[in-house]
Amino acid sequence: MTAKKVIETKNLSRVFKNGDIEVYALTNVNISIEEGEFVAIMGASGSGKSTLLNILGCLDKPTSGDYYLDGIHVNKLNKNELAAVRNQKIGFIFQSYNLLSRTSAIENVELPLIYNRTGKFTNPKKLAEKALEQVGLKSRIYHKTNELSGGEQQRVAIARALVNDPALILSDEATGNLDSKTSIDVADLFVKLNNEGKTILMITHEHDIAQFAKRIIYLRDGSVLTDELIKNRSTKESALKELALTT
Amino acid sequence: MQQFFKTFKVAFQAINKNRSRSLLTVLGIIIGVAAVIMTISAGEGATLEVQKQISGLGTNLLMIYTKTEHRAGAHVRMGKPVNKKDFDMLQHNAVWISKLSPLIVDVAQAIGPNGYKSIAIYGVSDQYFDILSRDLASGEFFKEEEVTTAGKVCVIGKTLKDELFSDLDPIGRQIRIDKIPFTVIGLLKEEGKGAMGQDQDDIILAPYTTIQNRLHGHRRGYDIIMASAINEDHIIDAEIEATELMRESHKILEGEEDDFEITTQIELQEITGNVTGILTILLGAIASISLIVGGIGIMNIMLVSVTERTREIGTRLAIGARESDILTQFLIEAIVLSLAGGVLGVVLGIAGNQIIYKLTNFFIPTALYSILIGFGFAALVGIAFGYFPARKAAKLNPIDALRYE
Ligand SMILES: Nc1ncnc2c1ncn2[C@@H]1O[C@H](COP(=O)(O)OP(=O)(O)OP(=O)(O)O)[C@@H](O)[C@H]1O
Ligand SMILES: [Mg+2]
Repeated sequence: MTAKKVIETKNLSRVFKNGDIEVYALTNVNISIEEGEFVAIMGASGSGKSTLLNILGCLDKPTSGDYYLDGIHVNKLNKNELAAVRNQKIGFIFQSYNLLSRTSAIENVELPLIYNRTGKFTNPKKLAEKALEQVGLKSRIYHKTNELSGGEQQRVAIARALVNDPALILSDEATGNLDSKTSIDVADLFVKLNNEGKTILMITHEHDIAQFAKRIIYLRDGSVLTDELIKNRSTKESALKELALTT
Repeated sequence: MQQFFKTFKVAFQAINKNRSRSLLTVLGIIIGVAAVIMTISAGEGATLEVQKQISGLGTNLLMIYTKTEHRAGAHVRMGKPVNKKDFDMLQHNAVWISKLSPLIVDVAQAIGPNGYKSIAIYGVSDQYFDILSRDLASGEFFKEEEVTTAGKVCVIGKTLKDELFSDLDPIGRQIRIDKIPFTVIGLLKEEGKGAMGQDQDDIILAPYTTIQNRLHGHRRGYDIIMASAINEDHIIDAEIEATELMRESHKILEGEEDDFEITTQIELQEITGNVTGILTILLGAIASISLIVGGIGIMNIMLVSVTERTREIGTRLAIGARESDILTQFLIEAIVLSLAGGVLGVVLGIAGNQIIYKLTNFFIPTALYSILIGFGFAALVGIAFGYFPARKAAKLNPIDALRYE
């Protein structure tokens, strides 16, 4: 029995045109990710990681090639349908958190449910509380975002990405603004969520963070360089030991 | 629909989160709306006041007087003064005129038991009180008999009474007008300021015969003949008739011009109506400018708000908001702010009118239509000036918006 494919791309390309200059950000990317996977995407700056993630997250459209998300042929969707897919299938986590300022943690987490038109989530407050509990912020529910530490803010953002029970969690350098110790905590949280069945795709620059995943895809100049499974996955304990050694 | 309520809630939260900015936005609209209401109402108040004064003159009024022309900046009398002959002609022949009174105006020194004053003294007949529909506070008007016998009686206004008598009851007492003693037989009911700002209670009324014969030698002419038409519907008839009779009395031949003029109440109302109407429009226009400035303020602050909240908009789009959700949210924010400004502006405008009334005693009725204009304009301004920033917000590219520093 084969697992369900959450992501499947066929010859995905993205070309940016700036006047006469054409930038080939992605060329013929073929990736397939199954339910329950935890994939890290690495690569040099400018290799096309964010461009890929934006397309996978339905924020951008490929110049050519096909993209199937959870069985849906995304190329054919219009703007409002894309918004609905983002709302129901995807949870985003950004490097700079992107929380609403002067707003409580729970209100931030409820936000995706406000734009949910399916009528599926009848008790947004309860769901938001549950998501915050999942990321270990039960005691911070009514704190304003500006009263939280960077790590806590990113946890709120992760809770927001979880609350709509998405098919896929996408993270673009979620640990980029955090110190090493806090980064390890967040990576460990990803592992925990993955163990609970979430499919996760994370971009990272940091090798030690990437080692928490089950699989690493390297990009170079907009193409997949390598795509392999990780044999010796890091755990929180091993990473902290490593950290103690290097500092 | 359910989505609209959710967006409504989001917009309210956003307003609440940015309280000081919201307040500033609202302030511009408040001032604009209050200014519109107060200026329009002031114009209306002035119009109303003037109209009240004119209709206070007696609704059927006609005034007949010698024609004057502007010559070298001065009024120059062009014909014979109106006189007793004209008066008799009108009195005996006019069918559309029911009441007649000569009017002679003089300035004299009046001395009472408690003070003295230089004052306008009006020589009139007993019918004058009916023509101008003035009422008495106490005492009585002089009668026809006192007019024919040139009785030394007078009726005075409240302002003059206060100066000459203080708290004394003037009825039956004497005052000296240019050294001649007059008995005060009536005190006029207070009338307040006239159409042109003059005090209508600073006045003495005496039989015109007395003024002609005893006070100023033998003045022959009258300043004005005051008349009233038998009713409002026949003012024009009365005017035509009076014109014919006056021409006959002055022996003006066919084809020759009148050497007198007749002004009716209707004309007075039209002239002042025009002037005050223009005043209202002008004031309203000036006030509208302040509302437009308030609107531009809204647009400015909303634009700043969109720029400031670019990342927020990017985030909302990324987690599944439609363009229309963002557009609606920002539009609701703008409209709610300008409506709130509208409501508070109406309250401030009405309060302002009350305060002016308390301070100056100039009653300004808050015109209902000024509230509607002010409020409607505020709503319009909110939609018009809120739409552009809202559209800008909705059209943001989520990827760029998320990256925005
Ligand atoms: N909107 C755009 N217009 C033009 N070129 C773009 C645009 N967005 C990305 N690019 C180009 O596409 C290429 C890939 O960019 P991308 O942001 O995907 O890189 P990245 O791998 O995420 O880099 P980093 O690790 O620095 O975030 C770069 O050369 C970039 O300059
Ligand atoms: Mg990037």
